[in-house]
This record gives sequence, structure tokens and C-alpha cells, in this order.
Amino acid sequence: MNEHIVKSYEDELNSLTAECARMGGLTESLIADSITAVVKRNQELAAQVVIRDEKLDEAERDIERKTIRLIALRSPVADDLRRAVAAMKVANNLERCGDLAKNIAKRTLVIIETDPLTPLTRAIERMGKLVLGRLSSVLDAYTRSDLERALAVWSQDDEVDEHYNALFRELLTYMMGDPRTITACAHMLFVAKNLERIGDHATNIAEIVRYQITGEEAAFTRPKTDALSV
Amino acid sequence: MLATLVEALPDPILVVAGARRDDLSGLRFVLANAAARELLRITVEEGLLLSAIRDPDVLAAVDRALFDTLDADCAFETTGAQTRGFRVRARPLDVAWPGLSAALVTFHDETDVRRVERTRVDFLANASHELRTPLASLSGFIETLRGHARDDPTAREKFLGIMQAQADRMARLVADLTSLSRIELDEHVPPRGVVDLGLVVGEVVEATAPLGPSRDVQLQWDAPAGPVMIRAERDQTVQVVQNLLDNALKYSPPGGDVRIELAIGLSDTAAASAPDRMPRISLVAPDPSAEAYAVLRVFDQGPGIARQNLPRLSERFYRVGGQKSSDKAGTGLGLAIVKHIMNRHRGGLSVASAEGEGSIFTVYFPMAQGPSDAVAKAS
Repeated sequence: MNEHIVKSYEDELNSLTAECARMGGLTESLIADSITAVVKRNQELAAQVVIRDEKLDEAERDIERKTIRLIALRSPVADDLRRAVAAMKVANNLERCGDLAKNIAKRTLVIIETDPLTPLTRAIERMGKLVLGRLSSVLDAYTRSDLERALAVWSQDDEVDEHYNALFRELLTYMMGDPRTITACAHMLFVAKNLERIGDHATNIAEIVRYQITGEEAAFTRPKTDALSV
Repeated sequence: MLATLVEALPDPILVVAGARRDDLSGLRFVLANAAARELLRITVEEGLLLSAIRDPDVLAAVDRALFDTLDADCAFETTGAQTRGFRVRARPLDVAWPGLSAALVTFHDETDVRRVERTRVDFLANASHELRTPLASLSGFIETLRGHARDDPTAREKFLGIMQAQADRMARLVADLTSLSRIELDEHVPPRGVVDLGLVVGEVVEATAPLGPSRDVQLQWDAPAGPVMIRAERDQTVQVVQNLLDNALKYSPPGGDVRIELAIGLSDTAAASAPDRMPRISLVAPDPSAEAYAVLRVFDQGPGIARQNLPRLSERFYRVGGQKSSDKAGTGLGLAIVKHIMNRHRGGLSVASAEGEGSIFTVYFPMAQGPSDAVAKAS
């Protein structure tokens, strides 16, 4: 046990951010693997993703515990308090992303049973890459306290929506054309929706980064050009 | 001397130090050479390891080297527009730092190897699939010419005409596919030349203008007052402009206008934005962004593209009307080629379009920095 080793206050805060970063890395690889599994129809990888999600749940609980401990023992104020709260919130968002990746993997196991829908998986791959890029960018912003990069992610959410809407319409066409594809398409639709929600979590994290650095809450709404989602 | 040497090494290198496993605030990088700082997008030469890299496989390899004093290696891929693949090796370092162990982490770029492999597979799959249709039609007509159309001169003439068209289509496909796979191989090599974009556009417009009247389409282009220097490969710049103009002419209705505009010194967001309130999507975005861009916009008055088709535009062989739109001579590779070229040039490609209102295709190149720079490389 290391509990009796007294670490400096700054070290403890740094550890919190570092643990969030490590959890972020795990989340990114989980999402990337879930996308690869659905695109390449890889059953083994999908099954692995489902199991690996547990690590994220554990990491989130761990970060939460440490944050609460730090707040209780050190009573941080101002910047330090915001850093502690931000760590907890980021961990929470990452855990949700992990769940969404796990859900994609579970649906992959069903999709594999049906015939391949090649053009659709290409669209999923493209959307996945976009969403993953946003999450990476925002985690970079978080670990380097880079406000500018966080704001860039925050203001560019409409691209993901555009991809999602396009995929939604394409799936409808498929389902109308051949009712036998409905099962696979319905699952694909959820895969796309999950990716879109991972994108939303990336936006949330961007807001948290902004809060951590400036102390401001996100007051105004982002530009939206979305006609489909409600 | 040694420090300068390490700093100048082309391969990214990190030296990592740590005290105990799972002591994340003690896990730091104490040296990052210029290549490493560029790859990991960090500005400092030392700091928390987790602020520079979070990939779980790399972290596991580092842990192994630091605390088990064993060599370890793993694969690592960057995210973003240009994905690069690396082989990461972690080696324990024998240093006398009290209470700390150290390790050397090297990144070896394997992007090109993997790309060659993948390009070959893609080329085979695409080529065989796309060549099948014209080939089937050719052999069908040959069979007919040998059979009951043998003594029918009118039918023979007609069939030979169709066969010629199919053979032309195959030739175009092969030409586009070869140029696409060549472009892909160079995609990660930064362009070396400096090109006057205004001049290139002028030349392409001049070469393309004779095609206009036969379709009753007007090309509108005002040459800029001064040179517009961009960092680019000349041949590929010509190809980008050519493909965009070809598309615009192809889809313009008789009596329509194709307008070409050049703007300079814009930021990347300003460059990607559309002047009108049409639905817009960016197909290639620069990453990281440069200071100023030269922006080329091509406006056409064609039928426009439905919103749901926008994200698929730069996909290979994708054609909005499906393969049925084959009355428009094209291979479905033009924009894919533009996309790959723009990606190589660290530029951008975006499309704005609305059904019934026409389309605006925008490409933007990073501008060459100083005038001296431009003169030195212009030859």
C-alpha cells in the first residue's frame, strides 16, 4: 500500500489529469476497435471490446474516488478545484463513450450474421474516423490545457450530424429496397447513432476543458444545421 | 554535440523516466526530439508522459521497458486526416538516476509499407469490378457480330460505335486508376515546388475553353493582378483544376455559366465556408492548419447535389445518379483524385450544393511563405 507515502498536492492533481488521459487512451482504442470490428466483420475483436469495457468502468470509479478524497483532504479552491471537478466529469463522459463502443461491438455480433452491406460500412468507417478524430483532438486539448483546440472541436459538431443524416437516409433507402436487410440496417442505424453520441461527448469534454481553464460555463448554444434529429 | 544530433534525427525519439508502476505523475518524458514533438504535437521537451501520449499499447510497452527491464514493441497509429502508422520500440536504459528507471522509446514510420500493401489490394478490387461492365458489353457485341449481325452492315456500324465507346471508357478507367494509385503512394510526401495558382488556372481555362461552346457553356474567369504562390506540385495542381472544371462543364445545362474565383490570404475556416447558405460539407480539411490559404472556387449552375449525397462525393466510383449517369462520360474517380491531391498538399476541399441551385466546389492550398522562398523554388 502506498497510502502512507505523502505526495505533494501538485503531484496528486497531476496524477488525476494523467489518469484521465490514460482512461482517454483506453477509450480511444476501444472505440477504434469497435469500428474496426463492425467494418471488417471481426467477431473476435467485437467480443474483446465487450470485455475490455469493464476496465473503463473501473477507471472511472477510481478517478471518482481519488477526486473525492482530494477534495475532502486538501479542500482545493479556484483553479485547483476546477481541475479536480473537471477530471471527474471527463472520466464520466469517457465511461459513457466506452458504453457506446461496447454497444457497437454487441451489435456487430448480430450484424456479422447477415450479408455484408459494403457501401454502408464504408460510410460508418468514415463517420467513425471523424468522431474518433474529434475525441482525440479534445483529449489532446485536455491534457495540454489548450483552450483554442478545445474551442475548435466545440464549434465543429455539424459535420458529424451531416454524416449521420446522410447515413440515416441511405439506410432508409436500403430497407425500403430489400426488407431482408432490415435487421442489419436497424443495427447499423444504432451504430451510427452511437457514433454520433460519442461525438456529443467529445463536445461535452470540450466544454469541460473550457470550464477548467476559464471558469466560464458554456452559456450560448452551438450553431446547428440539423433538420432531422429531434 | 550529441544533443544536437538527437534533436536532428528524423525518427521521433523519447526518453522516459519513471519511479514506480502506476505512479502516473512520476512518469515523465525527459527528452523529446524535434520529430517527436511534431508527431505528438507537443511544444515542450519534457513533461508528463500522459500529456504527450495515451495509447494503451505504447504505455504498456513503456511500463515493460521501465519496470521489467525488457525490450518491448507495439504498433501505433495517429488519428486525424492523414493517418500514419508506426512501430514503437521501448528499450530499458541503464542510467544512474536515484530512484528512477529510464527507457528509450523510438518510433519507426511504417506508413509507406502499409500503404503500398493496401493500395495494391484496393487497386485490384476496384479495377476488376469496374472493368467488368464494359468488358461484358464488349464480348457481347463481338458475339453478336460473329453471329446473326455478320451480314448486316448497318448493325455492324452501330455496334462498332458502341464498342469503341466502351473501349474508350475502359481506357479512361485504367488511366484514372493508375494516376490515383500513383498519387496515393506520394500522399505522405510533402509537395516540393512552388506554383503560381493564378497562372495554372489561366492555362487550364485556356485549354478547356474550346469545349465550352460545343456545350453552350460560358467559362468566366478574371486572372488575378499578381502572382498567387502556393506550395504545390505543378502537375497535380493542374490535375485538380482540370478535374473541377471538367465536372463543372459536364454538369452545366446548355446556356449556363461556370464561374471561377480566386481569393488569397484566407484562414482555413474562411476558406472552407461557402458564400451562400447552401448545405456544405468539407471532404478534406488541413491538419494542422496553416496561416493563410489561396482559395479556388468553381461555381456551376448544374442540377445540384442532394444533401444526403454530399458526404459520399469523394468516394471512389461514386456517382450521384448511380452508374446510370453514364451518359456523362466519367469514371467516378475525378473527385477522389482531387481529394488525395489536396490531402497531400495539406490543403482542403469542400462542397456546397443545393438541388436546383447548382454547386460550389472549393479547394484551398497553403500559400508559400516569403517571396524569396517562391523565387528560389519557382524554377
